[in-house]
Amino acid sequence: MAAPCRRMASRSLLQIVSSFSRTAVGNSGFRLFSNTSVCRAIVQTRFVPERASSPWTLKAAVCLQRLPVISADCAPIEQQFKEMMHQMELEKSVLSDHELRLLEDAERMSRKRADDYDSDEEDNHRDQDIMLAQDLEDIWEQRMKNFQPELRVKADVDKDLTSLQRCLADSLILLAEQQVGGEKLWLLPQAQWQEGETLQQTAERALASLPAAGFKATFLGNAPCGVYKYKLPKAARTESVVGTKVFFFKAILSDKGPPAATNASFMWLKRSELQRYLKPAYMMKVERFILGL
Amino acid sequence: MNPVFRKLQVSVTQQALVLNQALTLCRATPSIQHPVWASVNERQYKTMPTHGIGRWKHLLPKEVPKKKKDTTQKKQIIAATDTAYGTLNVKVSGYDMTLVEHYSQYIHNLCNRLGIKVAECYALPTKTTEVMLMQEQGTKMYVDATLKTHERVVQLSSLNASLCPVFMDVLLNNQPEGVQLSVKEHTEADFQARFKGRPELEGLIAQMNQ
Repeated sequence: MAAPCRRMASRSLLQIVSSFSRTAVGNSGFRLFSNTSVCRAIVQTRFVPERASSPWTLKAAVCLQRLPVISADCAPIEQQFKEMMHQMELEKSVLSDHELRLLEDAERMSRKRADDYDSDEEDNHRDQDIMLAQDLEDIWEQRMKNFQPELRVKADVDKDLTSLQRCLADSLILLAEQQVGGEKLWLLPQAQWQEGETLQQTAERALASLPAAGFKATFLGNAPCGVYKYKLPKAARTESVVGTKVFFFKAILSDKGPPAATNASFMWLKRSELQRYLKPAYMMKVERFILGL
Repeated sequence: MNPVFRKLQVSVTQQALVLNQALTLCRATPSIQHPVWASVNERQYKTMPTHGIGRWKHLLPKEVPKKKKDTTQKKQIIAATDTAYGTLNVKVSGYDMTLVEHYSQYIHNLCNRLGIKVAECYALPTKTTEVMLMQEQGTKMYVDATLKTHERVVQLSSLNASLCPVFMDVLLNNQPEGVQLSVKEHTEADFQARFKGRPELEGLIAQMNQ
């Protein structure tokens, strides 16, 4: 990773130094209390009188996931097995009410057509005579024909990397282009940790601060799921800042905001496509917590 | 009784001496040993020296008789701590019973694998919904379809906060279509909702309190 802005790092240092006595311990020792619902967290930061200043700047990043909307297609062997199981179950099954009714109706029709038919012998099936089971089936068939299902896979939407509707069968991860140090890099949206807030709040802030904001996300838990740390190149290192640690938090997209204008600063990618856009060291840490299901 | 045994012992030892001289390699002692009467409460009045020779049940450890399963015991609701959530209810509901049941079984197996303790796994009663459609020409409604909502609950006793996002991610990624998942804390009200109301009892209690 390239060197982050030295100005940013020094500013945060000043903040740390000035509020020496009141701040919470950095890195990973945050105490969080959870409320009745699993998702929201009421935070209480500990007040520790002494604090060792750490040489790492902290950032929190959010791994926003859009879950698959439709189930994935079966592999050929899965398809074959599914058909075989279906056939087996069909052969072992018992006739349902509707099928019994069909048989009864057919039988009754054939008896009516016979010459020596005496309607007094039958039980009263007046309701069923008006609407035969076969008629019901015909009505249902009609309705089925009128229903037009959507296409499962649309090739043109799949290619548009910024669209949320692409690849409905896979889970997509949000990737944003952010300025780190001197360059613009594609990475998971991140923000610098500030005093007095927890890492999870930093991650929420990172999500809200995206230019194409409006994503409503539910964070899956209060604990981070991954860490990436990098040291600054020797030229940019000072005595107190050695590098940065980025903590990743998982979140699920619950509501997409208003349609964003055509700015290409974010992308929705599948796990297999992430490799093309992320740096290798970063990718190694990130792919450890992204499920490849 | 005793003289009989003494006579037998004498005769037996005589035989033993003879046998011992003959078989030096054989290590098994030919002298007959009476079965040890460990449990004194059983009657041993039979006179045959081999009486009780096939007994083995007295050698097994004592087994407590298995109690028949009672009605659902009230389990302690664990409160949340700093690093773990308390008793959580993972409720799976949907119209298709096979999907719902298979998904709840999947969750149970996943918890076993991940080392999350499962307190209970039960089903809530099915709710039947009738879909009524208005007739096209007319005001009468007729029954179009009946939908049954099935619910299964997997109760976890404690979930580590660091394991929670991983667990939730796996669950959400594997959720089948048409199945709703909800994770909530377990409350007293949830427990009481499983039981049927007893109107007579409530009436009597109200009368008593008046």
